[in-house]
Amino acid sequence: MRPALIRTAALAVKELAHIRRDPQMLAFALLLPVVLLLLFGYAISFDLDHIPLAVVDRDQTADSRALARRMTAGDLFVPVADAPSAEAAVPLLRRDVARAALVIDDDYTRALRRGEPAPVQLLVDGADNSTAAVAMGYASAIAIGRVEVPGGLPYAVRSRALFNPALRSTIFIIPGLMALILVIIAVMLTALTVAREYERGSMEQLFATPTRRVEIILGKLAPYFVLGLVQVLLVLTAGVTLFDLPVRGSLLLLFGVASLFLLAMLGQGLLISVVTRSQMLASQVAVITTLLPALLLSGFIFPIEHMPLPLRVLANVFPASHLVEALRAILLRGNGPAAVAADCGAIAAFFAVMLALSIKRFQRVVGA
Amino acid sequence: MSLALEAEGLVRRYGDRAAVDGLDLAVEAGELYGLVGPDGAGKTTTMRMLAGLLPPDAGAVRLDGEALTIGAGAARAAIGYMPQQYSLYGDLTIDENLAFFGRLFGLPRKARAERTDRLLQITRLGRFRDRRADALSGGMYKKLALACALLHQPKVLLLDEPSNGVDPVSRRELWDLLYAFVEDGMAVVLATPYMDEAARCHRVGLLNEGKLLAEGPPAELVRRFRHPTVRLTVDDRDAAEICLAPLDEVLAVSPEGAALRVVARAGADLDALVPGAEVEPVDAEFEDVFLALLRDPDSVEARP
Repeated sequence: MRPALIRTAALAVKELAHIRRDPQMLAFALLLPVVLLLLFGYAISFDLDHIPLAVVDRDQTADSRALARRMTAGDLFVPVADAPSAEAAVPLLRRDVARAALVIDDDYTRALRRGEPAPVQLLVDGADNSTAAVAMGYASAIAIGRVEVPGGLPYAVRSRALFNPALRSTIFIIPGLMALILVIIAVMLTALTVAREYERGSMEQLFATPTRRVEIILGKLAPYFVLGLVQVLLVLTAGVTLFDLPVRGSLLLLFGVASLFLLAMLGQGLLISVVTRSQMLASQVAVITTLLPALLLSGFIFPIEHMPLPLRVLANVFPASHLVEALRAILLRGNGPAAVAADCGAIAAFFAVMLALSIKRFQRVVGA
Repeated sequence: MSLALEAEGLVRRYGDRAAVDGLDLAVEAGELYGLVGPDGAGKTTTMRMLAGLLPPDAGAVRLDGEALTIGAGAARAAIGYMPQQYSLYGDLTIDENLAFFGRLFGLPRKARAERTDRLLQITRLGRFRDRRADALSGGMYKKLALACALLHQPKVLLLDEPSNGVDPVSRRELWDLLYAFVEDGMAVVLATPYMDEAARCHRVGLLNEGKLLAEGPPAELVRRFRHPTVRLTVDDRDAAEICLAPLDEVLAVSPEGAALRVVARAGADLDALVPGAEVEPVDAEFEDVFLALLRDPDSVEARP
């Protein structure tokens, strides 16, 4: 073997020994993805169901009762109380007994028969505005789709969600979760590992050997690259088995994109490390520069298109948004390489900048 | 003997302050050179420049006549360097640390195993091969660090305060090891704040505020010392020390048992300065020379 390869391998083997002897770190690296996945997959759901509904049926006819039944037929609304009037329903909302109230006017059936708009009111608890918005949307869909109007409607709206017909948020979240896990692990661990060499003085000893900078970087980062890929596999497997995550595109392409993203994250961790040279500072900087963009600016939870321009620009600079976009394209839409090329380009550009800055900053000098 | 390591006009500044200020130094193969000075004298900065880990602002270091530059990979094989602070991997065992550095220096497996065995034998660390470095005592740790620095059989060995935190027994072992390697032709530069250690070197350079105050074999520096040294016995030793130390004609005061060792300029009347003291002339020692040099750079006569 060439000396450079031997040295790089020696560094990687040493790094593995550090990882092996730091069970807390290893546990952090392997348990965190699982915990996050279970947390986001089961506990935190953006899908709404079982909204408690109060029913105010002032019409008391077969038609009005049919409407109330249709509203509560699915899982979305659960009838919890009947009230004689809209006024009487408000206290139920205030006391949080119900989150919404369906108010059917006493003119409902007659208006239907006359072919006029039938007056139905939905009161929702605006204090919980996400529930409110969803409830209103679902309610109008149910009403429009099902109410039979003599003579028929001039047009019918039929929406269908492609690729995720049930609009399950878990499926939507897993690609974002993968980005989140990779940034935490890759950036945090790399930032710590290089800073640790500075902190314990071993960097000075390393520089006193013929080892070149690129060998130090490659040797130290290789184990974390592999660890990151293991995590991708872990999240993917859990997503498929536990949450029926579809894998419609190529797995090879998926791992290619994930590898590129990992490199970018390792580059970012490296830069943080060589600039701060302290584990404490490195971990703080790592949290701010990775978790926040990955959570808020990746499109993981909040759609980027609806953000103001400066945030949209920022979101596009950080690779997390591109990974989320590319993973959704591959996993859910089954897209090929052409569809993710632009995102890959953006990630690669970020990686190149991080690497260039790191190498410029990472000099074989101590005590300067 | 040939010059193994040479430094010419080394300067290193931190802001306005020059940590090392025009330092010249030449060490031959088979020579043990001591760089002696108080804390903050510029020893570590000098050692890092000699090791090629810190670029000098001016001047140059030559290794076997070849200029040493930062990142010069090939030259590294000729240098063994042991930093002052802990610099090995505490969570790795003795064996793993040695194997790691052996690989970085490109030693073939067989040579690595042979040299590791030999070094562990002479450092008497063989029994602890599987012990983690952070579980070693100060002395054992330093011996391991020395073994790591020697593994690739460097021509020049640079040791920055090697006996810092080492018990007296291990210290003697460390010195025995050094003499053995120097005898085999290795050039050793050792930075130390301890005068007794400096006195064991073949040649010393006395460093203060980044400048060499004097240089030569310790015994010769003592011979060339121009100020008289006395032992002063007095009732209140500490009071006498406080009274003498600031005086211009007094160049060094140090406690010696119940008495004081005092270096004063010739002609200084110590009887008058400390009434009732018993003054007895003694031979100067290396420490007296060093302390006096800090106050009077001309304390040592120029080489004849």
